[in-house]
Amino acid sequence: MTEHDDHDLGERFHALRREDAAAAPPLRATLTAARARPRHWRPGGAVVATALALVALVLILTLRSRHGGTVDLAGVRLRTPTDFLLHVPGAELLRTVPRFTFDWRVLQ
Amino acid sequence: MSPEALERELDQLHSAAFGWALACCAGDRPAAEDALQASYLKILDGRARFDGRASFRTWLFAVVRYTAAGLRRRAAFRRWLPLAVLGAISDGRPDAATMVARADATRRLTAVLDTLPRRQREVLHLVFYQDLTIAEAAEVAGVSLGTARTHYERGKAALRKLLKEEPE
Repeated sequence: MTEHDDHDLGERFHALRREDAAAAPPLRATLTAARARPRHWRPGGAVVATALALVALVLILTLRSRHGGTVDLAGVRLRTPTDFLLHVPGAELLRTVPRFTFDWRVLQ
Repeated sequence: MSPEALERELDQLHSAAFGWALACCAGDRPAAEDALQASYLKILDGRARFDGRASFRTWLFAVVRYTAAGLRRRAAFRRWLPLAVLGAISDGRPDAATMVARADATRRLTAVLDTLPRRQREVLHLVFYQDLTIAEAAEVAGVSLGTARTHYERGKAALRKLLKEEPE
């Protein structure tokens, strides 16, 4: 890359600059148009804080409804497709703890 | 800086800022005017404040570049919305009126520049068109000096090659 090449490129860009400068809108018109532009609405801090509080509230309510409720296990009975296999004579023995008693009088 | 002083500075740099806005908007004049107005509004509103760390020109160009990028992103987003039919949206290409008004040599230059990656185009514009140093160009483009130097060298080589290939 020679200095001559750089100079040539510079000349080309400067020609472009002269063209752009001739076609540039006047500053006054640009400033007037700028001042007439609608201001973009930007959410302020309060709006962001309210949105965050709402999200937090929804999260808390969701988690509470998922984990917070108590379940009465005594009233729950699991019915499985193989339940019928347990319907046999003497099935009540399976649901109770057998008690073994020893009658001393029989030995005496 | 007082509003009067700001306007004086803007007055001195206005045509250069317009050229830079055109470069940031890939030669699309309406988009460039829009970016320039939005940048001036930010400056006059105080949303963009000059803190004196860089030169006023470098700072102004950085504001224009940042604003043009924001408008480009917004335009790209709006193109995907059904509301796009309600208004003309910049497509990030040079507008026909600007291209027709250009002389042949400058039209060739802008056409070739359009084929370069954005960063290379920006650094070349800042150095050759705006006569900034590579360090100042790096500051405006928001990249390190080494990165700007790489973009400058690669961009310059690509530009020379393409200009030689292009028929006169």
